[in-house]
Amino acid sequence: MLAAVLAVCTLAFERGYAGAQSLEAMLDGALVPSAAPALLGPITEAGRTGWACKPEQAAGADSWQNAELPRP
Amino acid sequence: MPALILFAACGSFARAQMYPHATPAPRTTSVPELRALATGREVVERFHLGLAAEQRADWPSAAAEFERIISLNPGEPQNSTARYDLSIAYANMHRLDDAARELQSAISRDPGFLAAMANLIAVDLSRGDLRDARAVADRFVAAAPDSARALYERGLVALRSGDTVTARNDFGRFLQANPKYAYAHYNLGLAQTKSNDYASAEREFQLAVDLAPAYSRARFALGAVLLHEGKRAEARAAFAAVAGDAGTDPALRNLAVAMRDAIKSR
Repeated sequence: MLAAVLAVCTLAFERGYAGAQSLEAMLDGALVPSAAPALLGPITEAGRTGWACKPEQAAGADSWQNAELPRP
Repeated sequence: MPALILFAACGSFARAQMYPHATPAPRTTSVPELRALATGREVVERFHLGLAAEQRADWPSAAAEFERIISLNPGEPQNSTARYDLSIAYANMHRLDDAARELQSAISRDPGFLAAMANLIAVDLSRGDLRDARAVADRFVAAAPDSARALYERGLVALRSGDTVTARNDFGRFLQANPKYAYAHYNLGLAQTKSNDYASAEREFQLAVDLAPAYSRARFALGAVLLHEGKRAEARAAFAAVAGDAGTDPALRNLAVAMRDAIKSR
């Protein structure tokens, strides 16, 4: 996979063809979206309701830190 | 007095010696009621065992406890919660389809279960089911429009599905509340690149790199966009920085070396 991407990029660039197609080849091969966030943690037998349920709070939080999204 | 000081110093030890609250004696002689009380006690006890097993990453033991709870068919919220907890064990055992099935069942029993929706999207992304991921993500955003996780996860699903309009919208909304989150700037930059909006993408990738200088993938993306815009020297500098970062993913680093050298040779 890497070899193919490398070959396409190098060939495209060497031919002075750094246009949309070569960039798209790079993006498809190397620039992928971030990984999915880690799973939220387990919940006790009391269930998701109430203030004690951290995973449910994280799911509804409006800040990335409280949402337990990955730290760059 | 010395005994008091010793007791205070050993607080955690003292707490570990305490017995749990006694279960109230059942005030009934009805066999069905006694059976229901026994089942209820078993459910609670197995939740404790299952959660303890998950805490020590003993996933098969945890799965066995939650499977038993589900077989006892408790009411809500324990039924959907046991399925949610079981899905975590399954996901860690790489049984992603089973994990997804349990989360879907949990959501059908408790339609407002946000944590289950969040985890189902992550599981669906891992098993490559973008159709289900999108359906759950739409539901998640509708249920919690300001949720950072809902917007971020739907943005990821949309980006992977090629729906750049939704991806741009969701990451844009996410960044209004969280302007310093580098991953969202990177993902927004990708969506803009796929929409051929290179100037905006350059800005987003640059912001990602400014916020997280060690974020090599964002720096590589910046180099790619700069190259497309004809800014060869800047692009080469970006690729060189990625190539020189020993902590970078080796595949990305090799690609950066090739790009840097290709620019240099011309």
